Amino acid sequence: MAFTPSVLVTYGLGSCVGIALYDPVALTGGLAHTLLPAPVRDVEGVQRSAKYTCWAVELMVEELLKCGCASDRLVAKLAGGATMFEPRYRTTHGGIGERNLAAAKAALDQCGIPLVAEDTGEDYGRSLEFSTATGVITVRALQRPLKQI
Amino acid sequence: MKFDALTEEHLDALREVSNIGVAHAATALSQLIGRSISLSVPKVLLTDIAKVPEAFGGAEKIVVGIYLQMLGDARGNILIVLPRESALKLLSRLLPREKSEGVLLSELEISALKEVGNILASAYLNALGTLMRKTLIPSVPVLSFDMAGAVIDYVLIELGEVGDVALMVETDFFGEEEKINGQFFLLPDPESLKIILSAIGVKL
Repeated sequence: MAFTPSVLVTYGLGSCVGIALYDPVALTGGLAHTLLPAPVRDVEGVQRSAKYTCWAVELMVEELLKCGCASDRLVAKLAGGATMFEPRYRTTHGGIGERNLAAAKAALDQCGIPLVAEDTGEDYGRSLEFSTATGVITVRALQRPLKQI
Repeated sequence: MKFDALTEEHLDALREVSNIGVAHAATALSQLIGRSISLSVPKVLLTDIAKVPEAFGGAEKIVVGIYLQMLGDARGNILIVLPRESALKLLSRLLPREKSEGVLLSELEISALKEVGNILASAYLNALGTLMRKTLIPSVPVLSFDMAGAVIDYVLIELGEVGDVALMVETDFFGEEEKINGQFFLLPDPESLKIILSAIGVKL
């Protein structure tokens, strides 16, 4: 969570998803790095944690509203959700990257936040730099040109 | 079994069996490349999942990750991480190497590295299985060549479902003449941890 001018970063996203929320008027944004779509097993005392995609959006919105953002101005960008290894283990891991992306989109829908850009899927890792001054995310990857979304 | 419930005695026992496992793996590797390979005493760590990438030298470091599943009587994940430079040195010992262009690996190189992973994991699991009197089998290896953070989040995701802590058995191996180093990680499933510990006669 940061006010302008700041750059929020997260390094080495594989099948994890980076979710950026941004209020272009307040120039304030948040960036979450989530691991899992949702808690799938019955784990005792699961807490609402931002490692779960389903809760990260909700938690970020709560924080952003406290920081003076307006919920109807928020927009979202997504990056990550890659399939890092050959899909041989899809049965055990269930295409976790894809599931994370689907969970992120569902969570954004539920909060009524439009998804304005994404750089997702494929088979490579990404590092993100999210500028709160411009709302632009710079995506770095191995052996690939810089990409801005 | 929850990882936070492990005592110092449990960790010691895991360290000991891992030591035997990785010693076998190192012998296999040194026979393969015709060079002696040394090992560090395994570290058994309970680490916050978010901090695991640091153990690999940072989330953005370029590494080769060879991933296998431990199957059979106990289950878990095995990840062998080689820094890029070490992977290339290893390859130059294994393949009559045409200078490969650019940063990426060729099909043949990927296949050779997977085979290295297969040999290391099989030797490790054989030793561990004999000790436990259980059958442990490695799955077919898969490989990823990318940023360390991206390579390992795949493995951590599964652990993230049951808690915020990862149990890592970590060993550094290195060549004597040439600097070849790498890390061997065993991440047992929490349910399988109990099986491993009781099979080696540790009181739970």
